Formats: sequence, structure tokens, C-alpha cells
Amino acid sequence: MGSDPSRRELLRRAITAGAVGVAGSALRSPARALGAASASSSDAAEVGRLLRFELLVGFVYQHVLASSILSGDARKAVEQLGVQERAHVSALSVALDRLGGTPPAGPANIAAADKDLAGRRVSGRLGQLRGGRDALRLLLALEHVAEGAYYGSMTALGDPKLLRLSAEIMGSEAQHVTVIFVLLHPGELTQAVPYAFVQGRR
Amino acid sequence: MVIEDACGSRRALLGGVGVTVAGGAVVLLTGCGGSSPAPAAVKTVPVRVRQIDVGIFNRSLHLERRSIAAYTAGIPLLTGSVAKAAEQFLSQELAHAGELLGLIHAAGGTPIPRAPSYELGHPRTAAQVLSLLEQLENQQLAAYLDAIPRLSPGPVRASVASILANDAQHVSILRMALGSSPASAAFVTGRN
Repeated sequence: MGSDPSRRELLRRAITAGAVGVAGSALRSPARALGAASASSSDAAEVGRLLRFELLVGFVYQHVLASSILSGDARKAVEQLGVQERAHVSALSVALDRLGGTPPAGPANIAAADKDLAGRRVSGRLGQLRGGRDALRLLLALEHVAEGAYYGSMTALGDPKLLRLSAEIMGSEAQHVTVIFVLLHPGELTQAVPYAFVQGRR
Repeated sequence: MVIEDACGSRRALLGGVGVTVAGGAVVLLTGCGGSSPAPAAVKTVPVRVRQIDVGIFNRSLHLERRSIAAYTAGIPLLTGSVAKAAEQFLSQELAHAGELLGLIHAAGGTPIPRAPSYELGHPRTAAQVLSLLEQLENQQLAAYLDAIPRLSPGPVRASVASILANDAQHVSILRMALGSSPASAAFVTGRN
């Protein structure tokens, strides 16, 4: 189901995201510097939020795969999506680092992950999965929230390169929703893409 | 396959979809998708659409119209659930075009004239149609990704991003139908 993000691609992402910090060198006035610093701080806060969420997503994928609750094609598909989610974490981590932000912590354990899921009104609990379909439903719900997070970032972010990164990841999360839906409902291609405007769940 | 633009025959589908224009350069972005109602901030706050973005919207509109023509012409070569999905995607592309038209009008701009036809090659099989559609959707993705960082304000970017994400889903299903990986890259660029 495709290849792991290459090291070159991840490096390109890092350079792209890192260009954010260079802007300050071109400033000529204290007022503009203050505005830019404020914008950068705002972007750092938003990237931090996105990263914290992606760490939750990564934790859930990791636990689902480690539990061997999925098998066959579903497992292979979810493995690939998990790899992509890790790439999202990497790109956001680099972006946050370049912005001088403090990296958030991911869930320490299943209970913490479940608490975070509940706080985000994601249906399903990592500690209560009863089978493969439960796991897929949880992942689907999580990916819908991911869509919503990146949709929201379009109004929260200011830096063009971060906006582009966020849009690329939003596209990926939307594809994840589609893939997982079809795993749950094979052949139901129409229902897999029900809305002309994807906004996710917030 | 030179296809006459079919948008005129579908105009009835566009009514009330996506955007409500409320005078001058202000538009309410009513977002009609997602798995829950649109966030209140996007749904109820009037947004001023910038005239300088009209060029971006028109370029995107051209690409959407081209895809609409391709879906319209290609669907008869598809069958079963794939054909049904393509019909749905056609409706969604029409909605995207409607949204872009609304943004252009809200910005006080003029939509580009419809092309009389589009050069889409000569697909003769379902696989060739699906490949063409995938290619066109990817070109839309690439264009939206270039556009989003340049658009302002935020709700306008969000509206365009919601279109991009839908087109990304179209690519997934088209690739599934072609037997390819439906989510082949961690970052959707339209060039994957």
C-alpha cells in the first residue's frame, strides 16, 4: 500500500517547515518585529496543539497494531496509515522546534489516551476494544477529529508554509477516513465520501 | 475525447449549495459537509472575500469545470459501485464549482467564461477513464495546495481546504478502483 515516507521527503518537510524561523531576519521595525513574534507565537501554539493530537493518534494506532486485534488486509492497511501518522508527527515536531515551541507529551498510557479521547468526544475507548471492527471504528472516529483539527488550523495558522503543510496533512487524514470506512464497509464507495466539503469533527 | 462543457445542464444542482452571497464583497461560508455541522465561526460570521484572490478562484474554477466535464463524459464507461461513486463525485465537483463561483461573486469579481470544450484525450475503457479522473483530481489538489497559503482570511482558506480534502478522498476511491494504494503518501500533494 505505498512506501514509507522517504528520508528525503521528511527532510524536505523539515526544511519547508523550518523556513518559518527565518522571517525575522528581514524585519526592519520593532513594531513589525513584535507583530511577527506574536504571529510566530500563535503559530507555535497551534502547531503544538496539532502535534499533541497527532501524538494521541499515533499512540492509538500503535496500540491497535500491537494488540494484534487486526489481521489480513485490514492490518496491512492500518499499518500503512500508522506509518503516515508517524510522518505527520515528525513534520510537526520539526516545525514546532523551528518555532521555538515546547514539544507536548503524548499519552503516557492507555488510561491517559482514553481520557484524551473522551475529552475530544471521540467515540470508542482504547481500553475497551472488543475486536477488529471496534478498533476500526475507533480509528475512523479519530481520523474524523483529525480532519476537524486541520480544518480549524486553516483559520489559526498564519505562516504560508505551515498552512501548506497543514493542508497536505488534512488531505491525508481525509484519505485515511476513506480507507478505514471502506475497510468497515467493503464496496460502499459512495458512502465512503459523503460530503462535498470535508470539515471533520471538532 | 473533446467534451463540451456540461455545466449548463447541471445548473439546477448548484442552487443554494455551499455559499450564500449577502451583498457586495461579503459572503457567509455555509459549509455543507463534514461529519458534524460546520463550526459556528465559519457558518455564521460574514467573511470579506478579497478581490485579489479572484484570479486564484478562477483558476480553480477552470480545473473544477474540466473535471466536471470529464466525469460527465466518463461515467457512461463505468459500471456498478464505481459508476455510482463517480456520479456522487460529479455532484460534489459541481458543489465545489458553486462554492468557487460564490467566492468570486462575493469578491466582486467575474467568473471566467466557460470553455466550449476540454481536450481530455480518448479514454475508451473504464481503467482509462479512472486514470484520467485521478490525474485531473491530482491537478486540482496541487492547485489548491498552491492556493491555500495565499488566500485570506482564514475562513476562505478553510473553505478551500474542505474542497481539497474531498478531492483527496476522490483520489483514494479512484485509486482503489484502479487497484492502487488508496493512500499512497503521508502528505497529499497532488503529485504523489
